[in-house]
Amino acid sequence: MTTLLPKSRIRPIAVGGSKLARPVAWGLIGLLILVTLVAVFAKVLAPDNPIQPVGEPNLPPLAAGHLLGTDQIGRDLLSRTLIGVQASWLSALAVVAGGLLVGGIVGLIAGATGGWVDTVLMRVTDLFLALPGALVAIAIVAALGSGLTNTLIGVSIVWWPYYARILRGEVKALAARPHVEAARLSGVSRTRLLTRHLLPGVVPTAIVTASLDIGNVVLLLAALSFLGLGQQAPAPELGADTARTLSQLLSQWWVPGVPGLAVLVLSLIANLGGDAVRNLLPVRR
Amino acid sequence: MLRFLIRRLAGAVVILLILSFLVFVLEHIAPGDPARAYVGANASNATVAAQRQLLGLNDPFLAQFWRFLLGLVTGDLGRSLRTRQAVTADIATYLPATVQLVVAAFLIAVVLAALFAVSGALRWPGAFIGRGVLLLLATAPPFLLALLGLIVFFGRLGWLPARGTGDFEDPGPTGMQVVDTLLHGQGDAFLDALHHLVLPALVLSIAPAVAIGRVFRSSLQGVLHVDYVRTARSKGLTEGRVLARHVVRNALGPALSMAGLQLGFMFAGVVVVEQVFSWPGIGNYLAASIPVDDFPAIAGVTLVLGAIYVVSNAVVDLLQAAADPRVTVQ
Amino acid sequence: MTTPAAVASITDFSLSLVRNGTRSSVLNRVSFDIRAGEILGLVGESGSGKSVLALSLLGLLPPTSHPQAVGSVTVSGVDMLRADQAELRRVRRDVLGAIFQDPMTSLNPTMRIGRQIGEVTHDDAESVRLLETVGVRDAALRLRVYPHELSGGLRQRVMAAIAVAGRPGLIVADEPTTALDVTVQAQLLDLLRELRADFGCSVLLITHDLGVADQIADRLAVLHHGELVELGPAADVVRHPQHDYTTSLLAARLTLGMERDGRFAGGEKISGATDVGPAVRITGLRRTFAVRRGRAFGSTRRRGRGNDAQEIAAVDGVDLTIAPGEALAIVGESGSGKTTLLRIVAGLEQPTSGSVTLAGSGGPQMVFQDAGSSLTPWLSVGETLGERLLRQDLSKSEIGQRVIAALAAVDLPPEVARARPGELSGGQRQRVALARATMIPPAVLLCDEPTSALDASLAKNMLALIRDLRARLGMTVLFVTHDLAVARLMGDRIAVMRAGRVVEVGPAEQVVSSPREPYTKALLAAVPEIVEDAAS
Repeated sequence: MTTLLPKSRIRPIAVGGSKLARPVAWGLIGLLILVTLVAVFAKVLAPDNPIQPVGEPNLPPLAAGHLLGTDQIGRDLLSRTLIGVQASWLSALAVVAGGLLVGGIVGLIAGATGGWVDTVLMRVTDLFLALPGALVAIAIVAALGSGLTNTLIGVSIVWWPYYARILRGEVKALAARPHVEAARLSGVSRTRLLTRHLLPGVVPTAIVTASLDIGNVVLLLAALSFLGLGQQAPAPELGADTARTLSQLLSQWWVPGVPGLAVLVLSLIANLGGDAVRNLLPVRR
Repeated sequence: MLRFLIRRLAGAVVILLILSFLVFVLEHIAPGDPARAYVGANASNATVAAQRQLLGLNDPFLAQFWRFLLGLVTGDLGRSLRTRQAVTADIATYLPATVQLVVAAFLIAVVLAALFAVSGALRWPGAFIGRGVLLLLATAPPFLLALLGLIVFFGRLGWLPARGTGDFEDPGPTGMQVVDTLLHGQGDAFLDALHHLVLPALVLSIAPAVAIGRVFRSSLQGVLHVDYVRTARSKGLTEGRVLARHVVRNALGPALSMAGLQLGFMFAGVVVVEQVFSWPGIGNYLAASIPVDDFPAIAGVTLVLGAIYVVSNAVVDLLQAAADPRVTVQ
Repeated sequence: MTTPAAVASITDFSLSLVRNGTRSSVLNRVSFDIRAGEILGLVGESGSGKSVLALSLLGLLPPTSHPQAVGSVTVSGVDMLRADQAELRRVRRDVLGAIFQDPMTSLNPTMRIGRQIGEVTHDDAESVRLLETVGVRDAALRLRVYPHELSGGLRQRVMAAIAVAGRPGLIVADEPTTALDVTVQAQLLDLLRELRADFGCSVLLITHDLGVADQIADRLAVLHHGELVELGPAADVVRHPQHDYTTSLLAARLTLGMERDGRFAGGEKISGATDVGPAVRITGLRRTFAVRRGRAFGSTRRRGRGNDAQEIAAVDGVDLTIAPGEALAIVGESGSGKTTLLRIVAGLEQPTSGSVTLAGSGGPQMVFQDAGSSLTPWLSVGETLGERLLRQDLSKSEIGQRVIAALAAVDLPPEVARARPGELSGGQRQRVALARATMIPPAVLLCDEPTSALDASLAKNMLALIRDLRARLGMTVLFVTHDLAVARLMGDRIAVMRAGRVVEVGPAEQVVSSPREPYTKALLAAVPEIVEDAAS
């Protein structure tokens, strides 16, 4: 049982944060759903073509016909932001869902099987966790070449081990509880033990962990995009749009500012929604 | 304790090996031909092929990896395609500014985190406003914070400079303006360096401050109600003593873990912040390398920052073991 | 000397606290004095408000529960409910000492023992002297030790040393022995008595067990639902209780003098079983664990002296044969290996060597110590019980009827089938666990301290129910307990375990009335008994 590797480093979750009233919590979750709907139907909602100039350049927000103004070559900022939100939000959801799926399967197998399978899977997981995730993601995307797909691949590779660790720990903790032993003694089959006595206990933790994580992924994706590792121009992307127009910061703040603020709004909604989910679901501890 | 130390350090070495292997594999996949980088873009295909042979790029995979490792140990990280310099030399030039920035940001983050946690756990009246502002700022992407800081403190108020590390020549030897000017007793230059450092460091510190602060607060809240704190109070100790001796030390573990983890996120954040503030650091170097697919430079930065991260996390673990006598037993 | 001055007086004290968002009354017009130099026993069941009273005396009511108090609680003239923090601290430092229930969590895990005592004494020599006073050997060495390196009994002694370090006028001891084994409990009670003699302080001993209180208290106060129902000299309260509640507490005690049910008191089942073969045969059973750096001082389980990986035998060569229909009670203190033995019989753990043979088909069923965690929290009682019938190819309504019948067999109404475990009381949950184990009658029923977490009156009912089911279903029972009185009640025979071995086996009555082994005698002597039972 000597461990050569350091014990894995898991983001410790702050427990028992703010207590939200139930209606407020449901309202925030409604907001999560709303953002997802906006992201899915962004093309329908966007008033103008986001790629083509449609008006005067550098119009300020609330200008006629352009709610959020226009950028340096006269493209509608609202349309660009909506399409950018689509890319950011759906990507973040995909990374979290992918991480949850892969990490969840690895974690469940490791936790429920134990023995050498557990050891091997967790050694690999620990390796990933011991590396600086964001940096490795940058290196992977840089090596694969920038583009949305490669960005998603790069971020997903460093993102799943976190879920594997948490869910494996949760399964282990649950499996050690007397109720699992009691169920086994009362003659419950292995499948039923897993699906009825273990899984329902893990699901809330998985959902809470994932929903608290969407905001983190939104920010990381925005940072990568800011560095030029996301979609290539002229496709709208929130981080990249800010980076390309930095020079206009003091003259036309809204051109770099609006896409940046959109990231803030996404991350804020994700965090509040995550808190709401945690408040509504029973998680042990 | 010694065994623990040795085991932990051995673990760090293994991780560094894996990181090197990962970077080596990525370098293989990456676009760009290192041989062409040596001989120049205009060289003939024959020259490039000869250079390939010379660089050993036709050798078996594992042999190349071995040479790559030897290179790492002797400080050879290859040559940048963009600057045409040795990556090691480039990094040596730019690293000090980054270290200065990250250390300053980390110190600010720790102070803010402690305030965040203690004010929350002890329910300081009115402090929730400060916590709310911090929480809001922490949900913003770092580049937006940087822009906001620039608009307010440079654009509107004109209090703080917008770019660079300082207007004075760095007198050496460390390459960190703040340290060097202090060593040479140059008061004006020191103040100028601090002046330049404030805003980037503050921007970089917000997210880790809140992340560490939230974890620290919840562990403080947990420990405040455990039995041995009640025992300490029943001894008639002052509340300050109870906190200092019995609460904080036992609540520190999760916060330390989080601090180590945040260091890793800061290395990603620093790339963005340095770019916005034109900070002559390794992050800016990385940001400049990305658009031109300068993979040797990207690999070098990843390795160096990764190594710093792995080592600092090993230190965090050792600190934790020192803080909690039970850790070594496991 | 006829009326010694009081060190603390509680006058017309009513208190309400906010718990889970609702304010409820916890104490109602409680009045009594704690006289100088006396040991006052405060007795009550869980929820009686006795621990809250202790915290009030110490001025440590948690502000998060927004206490609202009427009346007064004064210690050496200071009002502990209303004085400012500095004054409260002075009283705690100079007048009060405290010992809390759980020795595992009451000491700071990251601070050496010496410093924790030193926070009061500020002098190592004095700390050593105190540790010696409370019966800790090698005291000077122990100063350098962390709490996790000490056994529970030793930790509680360290707590006692801290409590007397400030030369207090009053020691508040809140269930100081509940988490300890009986033999250690007896030592600690002796220690409290000695400390009173040496330091001349008063002791408020809070306990749920009238027997414990009776052993050392001069006077007894009985608390019931926040009201003081009886107060008087210990001998009077125990032998001539004035209040019905005190009488019922006395009647609910599990004592060595309890009447055992004659129907299956032994003899005939065992003799009649010879031709059928044993229900359970345990031969040469051993179970060892590798433990790294087991440096716990005062732990008796240690074997070998190696610095690193040591081997500890939880079960160290056990041979037992149990006849069909027989009930065997296994008694031992914590760490004796009794639970490990039971888990191996259940098939939950594998033995290192030796074997367990069970007669009949269908595995054994088990009732766990803590029913709260042995029932799956998100399944309803009906689903949990219904699971046992899945193999039997029954229709939905048939399963429903069987579940209701099983609940009725443990005196639970049919509505319980729809409830989740979290909505039930501790006693109800344990009945559900029993129903699950017995709804298809098992050949062998294993019980792992099923009543140790219950109040005495509930425990007594539960034990009666198990005995009743056993008689009806003809099960063989292995019953693990730390309590000799319970063992005598539940077992035809008693096996006494110590350090992984069975040191004595015999018919229950015989083991209790004329034990062979010195260890059994020590166990018996340590059981707090009320010598002259007034209830009979």
